[in-house]
Amino acid sequence: MFNKKNLYRMGLILLTVIVLAILNSVLGKYQVRILNLAGIYIVLGLSLNLINGFTGLFSLGHAGFMAIGAYTSALLTMSAVQKQANFFVQPIVPWLANIELGFLPAMMIGGIVSAIIGALLAAPILRLKDDYLAIATLGFGEIIRVIFTNTQSLTNGALGLKGLTRFTNVPYSWGIALLTIIFMFSLRRSSYGKAFMAIREDEIAAEAMGIDLFKHKLLAFTIGSFFAGVGGALLAHLMGTIDPLMFRFLMTFNILLIVVLGGIGSISGTVISAIIVTVSMEALRFLDSAINLGFVVIPSVPGMRMVLFSMLLMLVILFYQHGLMGRDEITLDTLGGFFGKFKKKEA
Amino acid sequence: MKKISLLLVLVLVLSIALTACSSSSNDVAVEEPTQEVVKFGVFEPLTGANAAGGAMEIEGIELAQELYPEVLGMPIELVVVDNKSDKVEAANAATKLVDQDKVNAVIGSWGSSLSMAAGPIVMDAGIPAVGTSCTNPLVTLGNDFYFRVTFIDSFQGVVMANYAYEVLGASKVAIVQEISNDYSVGLVKFFTDEFIKLTGDADSIVYVANYNTGDQDFTAQLTNIKSMNPDAIFAPGNYSESAMLIKQAKELDITTPFLGADTWETPEFIEIGGEAVNGTVFSTFFDSQVPLTPESEVFLDAYRAKFNKEPASVTALAYDAYILLVNAIERAGSADPAAIRDALAETTGFDGAAGVIALDANGDAVKNAVIKTIENGEFTYLTTIAPK
Repeated sequence: MFNKKNLYRMGLILLTVIVLAILNSVLGKYQVRILNLAGIYIVLGLSLNLINGFTGLFSLGHAGFMAIGAYTSALLTMSAVQKQANFFVQPIVPWLANIELGFLPAMMIGGIVSAIIGALLAAPILRLKDDYLAIATLGFGEIIRVIFTNTQSLTNGALGLKGLTRFTNVPYSWGIALLTIIFMFSLRRSSYGKAFMAIREDEIAAEAMGIDLFKHKLLAFTIGSFFAGVGGALLAHLMGTIDPLMFRFLMTFNILLIVVLGGIGSISGTVISAIIVTVSMEALRFLDSAINLGFVVIPSVPGMRMVLFSMLLMLVILFYQHGLMGRDEITLDTLGGFFGKFKKKEA
Repeated sequence: MKKISLLLVLVLVLSIALTACSSSSNDVAVEEPTQEVVKFGVFEPLTGANAAGGAMEIEGIELAQELYPEVLGMPIELVVVDNKSDKVEAANAATKLVDQDKVNAVIGSWGSSLSMAAGPIVMDAGIPAVGTSCTNPLVTLGNDFYFRVTFIDSFQGVVMANYAYEVLGASKVAIVQEISNDYSVGLVKFFTDEFIKLTGDADSIVYVANYNTGDQDFTAQLTNIKSMNPDAIFAPGNYSESAMLIKQAKELDITTPFLGADTWETPEFIEIGGEAVNGTVFSTFFDSQVPLTPESEVFLDAYRAKFNKEPASVTALAYDAYILLVNAIERAGSADPAAIRDALAETTGFDGAAGVIALDANGDAVKNAVIKTIENGEFTYLTTIAPK
């Protein structure tokens, strides 16, 4: 247990925690908000990566699972007074009106509800493959959104919910993100993880080797949905307000972008690209305003940052067809190798 | 290959960190000369699905800045940020405005959902915000720092219910709502409450039909409505769906008058609806033909001179948000956010371009509504209704 590698790993985690603690106390609210978002997108990216990357199930219903997690947790943490104020069109269903839980249990319940629905959905549609699965899950994501829009007394419909206590802070978002990272690494090394990857590579061969396809696909989908729900809960409590329109296909697309950019199937790739995507969308904001180059002033063009961002994306995809990391990981060995080479060069 | 990708990642991270650092150091340099500038933060959807709406509002705000470039002898600077028509992004944008740009007040945004995302942020920072065209009652509810220059759905719903009852003499109304649109759902709720109160008959709303944003075919809902034979149909919603709805109603020989709300006031509504939308009646904020206040004329003249077209209602509202802030700072005698907030809360009888504004306890504007109809393919002013 306490071999050298594990010690290094713990040291690495401790280092991350210390760096985060410093960042949390030094940075302003705006930067901390982006830090939080990066943590949340890591959770969301990894959960989609488990389904799409490890197991090779091309799922596009992620926003739907996020919505389930977000709404479940939000309805559980909101106070009775807040609920009454929100549900002015139709009163809330009585059994939900007076429940008020802490953030952590609410988030877990959000994840579990999302996982249960994920499992229920997976049972029939996992018979589909590739594009067909993508279309079915995409449809499912939209169905969830439409249901939430129409169940006025349960979700307040299109009006959305507001007044959620903003519980999400760096310890929560990054705590969960770190747990998710550790979980994903351990899962990958376990027999389940190996089975997932075998299914991704060749279903028939995997089945011939005695892997129960249905069971493993179901498991991957359920775990992915759980983390999507947790991520949704974190996002809801960072925003303080949610509505069904937040969970459109565009949300799934954002997360898919993170996964593809990082390298489908790479945990560290997803983590890196979640941070890059979140930070650069904000860091490029200066492009939208007028830029003074000293000798010439470029007038402000809204949307300029989106253009540059898309161009960066295209460059990455052109030169790294498998994303930034491909299927590689940053592990202790590669880190050691990387810094080892530097040392050699210096010497 | 592995090493190169690692290097690339490092370079990317470094460059981002550098840009972040350089931009923050710029900010420090700007802040040093103590508050000689009053900063208004504007967050609007400049890209994405609602970009057209955001652009119309920016027009109004920039026009207002041209006319009123300073307050208390200090120049006003606009800090415009894009919220990408996205809720998460809207919250980021608002945080940037209050935390990094240190604005004195915030204006925005088109879309209630986007404004709601900014709500808790401005409240925590203690910076007052003035909403432009966000009509969802939840935007200002329980938030002492959010105000708005537009009337809310509750008033518009009541106005149309009164119009249906008193002018049309309706006793049975059918409703078609855009269920996925908070605006439509809210309006229908207040219309229903008021109409039932007026008629004293809980069954006076004979039928409620739903449709989703983007729907094309409404024959099922309309056939049901036709069999109910109502005196009027209240159908607030997105202009394109509403126009198609009315067109299809005419094809089914439904002659019942249609009532709607301010979203219908776009040229596209008449374009899509054609002949069919003649005779529809809706409430809105403002009419460019009948100036409501002296400020309306100032605004209309300046707008026509600059853009050579007729302004949209939301442009006038965005203009009002700006001049209301200027007025509040003058009344407060200070550009301190807390002082602006207190002055804003006391606003009564303020002459805006889109009507006289008084802010109620929630921070919602209490103002006249304008009723318009469409005659021969043109918007025509009917009457102005004052709040009770």
